[in-house]
Amino acid sequence: MPHWRQTLMSYTFLAPALILLAVFTFYPLLYGAYLGFTEYNGARFANNLPPQWVGVKNFETVLSDPLFRTALGNSVKYLLVVPALQLASLAVAVLVAKNLPGIAVFRAAYYIPVITSVSLAAVMWEWVFNREGTLNWLLGALHLTTPEAAFGWLNSEQWAFWAVMLVTFWRGFGYYMVLYLAGLQAIPEELEEAAILDGANAWQRFWSVTVPLMRPTILLCTLLSTIAALRVLEEVLVLTNGGPLNSTYTALMYVYAKAFQGFDFDYGLASAAGLIVALVALLLSALNFRLFHRDGEQA
Amino acid sequence: MKRTLKALTLGLALAASTASAQTTVTFWTWYLSPKFDGYIKDTITAFEKANPGIKVQWFDKQDSMVQDFIASVNLGSAPDVVNLNIDETQKAAQNGFLSAVNGLTSPSTLRATFYPQSLSNFTSGGNTYAYPWYGWLNEGVLLYNPDLFKKAGLTRPPRTASEMLSYAKTIKDKTGAYAWVPALKDPNTASFLGYFYAEGLPVTDASGKAAFNTPQHANLLAQYVTLYRGGYIPEDAVRREAFQLATELYAQNRVAMIIGGPQALTRIKDTNPSLYAKTVVTGAPLGKAFLQTGGSMGLVIPKASKNPQAAAKLAAFFTNNANQLAFAKVVPVVPTTLGAQTSAQFKTTSSDPIARATALVGASGRLINPGYKAPGNSDDLYKNFNDNIEAALLGKKTAQKALADAATYWNANLKK
Repeated sequence: MPHWRQTLMSYTFLAPALILLAVFTFYPLLYGAYLGFTEYNGARFANNLPPQWVGVKNFETVLSDPLFRTALGNSVKYLLVVPALQLASLAVAVLVAKNLPGIAVFRAAYYIPVITSVSLAAVMWEWVFNREGTLNWLLGALHLTTPEAAFGWLNSEQWAFWAVMLVTFWRGFGYYMVLYLAGLQAIPEELEEAAILDGANAWQRFWSVTVPLMRPTILLCTLLSTIAALRVLEEVLVLTNGGPLNSTYTALMYVYAKAFQGFDFDYGLASAAGLIVALVALLLSALNFRLFHRDGEQA
Repeated sequence: MKRTLKALTLGLALAASTASAQTTVTFWTWYLSPKFDGYIKDTITAFEKANPGIKVQWFDKQDSMVQDFIASVNLGSAPDVVNLNIDETQKAAQNGFLSAVNGLTSPSTLRATFYPQSLSNFTSGGNTYAYPWYGWLNEGVLLYNPDLFKKAGLTRPPRTASEMLSYAKTIKDKTGAYAWVPALKDPNTASFLGYFYAEGLPVTDASGKAAFNTPQHANLLAQYVTLYRGGYIPEDAVRREAFQLATELYAQNRVAMIIGGPQALTRIKDTNPSLYAKTVVTGAPLGKAFLQTGGSMGLVIPKASKNPQAAAKLAAFFTNNANQLAFAKVVPVVPTTLGAQTSAQFKTTSSDPIARATALVGASGRLINPGYKAPGNSDDLYKNFNDNIEAALLGKKTAQKALADAATYWNANLKK
């Protein structure tokens, strides 16, 4: 087959995916970026007026807004969930990768939170974090607190952030564990066997065989988890609505509030804030690549 | 043959003209399905019968109502009649999303149908933007648990708002239950402003600037702060919607009173029937201004509607006196029509709590008033106001400082 025909055929096969990506990903992305430099609010929208170019004014407004700075700070702080989530899900994946009896039940149990709706999860976690909830009961049973000293975790400026983060951890854990399981199952058994023959113990095999071969999966999961942490919205919205005192108010909540809450929306400000969050995500992704993707090695 | 062809042609032409005369009106309600499907569908059927040229397509929207509304305008498929509350109607009108209904129905007809205050609630910049629909009174009735009252040594319900505040301590200290759940900072609104209104304290001045930062305002907020910090108000009240929290805790015997409309009783009847049966219904205490606060739904016509005239007919039909009274028979809402004042259906006496509560408030639609109107840029202003109320409740700011900060933000960010 001539080269040009081969090329044409390749692009023909790629075309449907490219068209979908162009329509549903690239165009909204570029248009969103453009809106960040325009004034486009409820009043302009309702009166059929096009977006009006305002340069970097929206970025100045957003960056000078104390609420956005708090929100961005919270989102960056939220990244603390990433290492905890990755370490825990990798560790459990290693444990459940073994073909022990009843292991399928454990795998399924860990995955249930991933498919549980956030509103249902919120009701359940309300019971846990309430003043009269499970967590306080447990702490009381362990003599770590008294009923008088108990408080609602979601109402506490000091604790609400960590409480919501725990829910994010709970929701993400099974998802990353499944990805790690897939990665573990792709490791050739011969390598493990060779390491055993060389006299390596379980810990040495984990560090010298499993972890290096799992690096691409670790990079992928860390990237996904970093982006997800920066974009956290649902659990915050339903559990605390950003409070108390904006201690759980995240950057995506700010974007959501500016873009979708009511008729006073401002797409220009929302897009500018979204672009800033995307920039932070890009920088952190680059950092992840540097950490997990050594020069010259295939990740 | 010729005659047959002629008849056929005429028939087809007639059918075509009938088809072209048919208008389809899209109608969006908010949180009414499936509970009130029967009422809505019957009313639509009656409307279509009275207006053979109009067909109604009904959709019930829930959480995403406002977002769907905006998206539909963008897609060129805006609904024709939309059910919005007072606050959202004001915001939509300020941003230019709505047609003024006084341009679709004569102002004299509107005045003859609805209470003046009901129309005023939906009026912005001299135009009315909704046909007032069913409403509710925040201080319409007081429901209380007689067992908890007895345990607290109380012999009668509170008669004033300040007495209500003092009951909070008595009831909590003697029973362990909270007295009631005040609306401190309900999401998407600035509910504490309603307390200022009820006490006769101004919310804004004549130019729309914030006027809620006087020592009197601070003193009122400070009373709630003291109660909250003393554990006399549920701590979840800063995070959750007061009405929802109140009905939930009342059904568990953890709150002694609910101030609100008969609609609270519907939920209690479902969750705790025995408590419902002994619940006492009486008039609610009022603030120093002896004013009620409350809210109402309205039916608006989007500017992007393709059938505004037919839409106006449908909205007027749903909100007319007969249909509002019929709705009040299905669910204990407060009609916003003048005719409801003299309706016999609110004069009946019954020992059933819902019937009693409905009789108490049903004819009081004239008193429905949120106490404040959504200012321009209200989402930002409400958020800042609520953040400041929260800061005061959590002891981060004094009441005076919190209100002063909120007023400064309000006046700097107010859009006309």
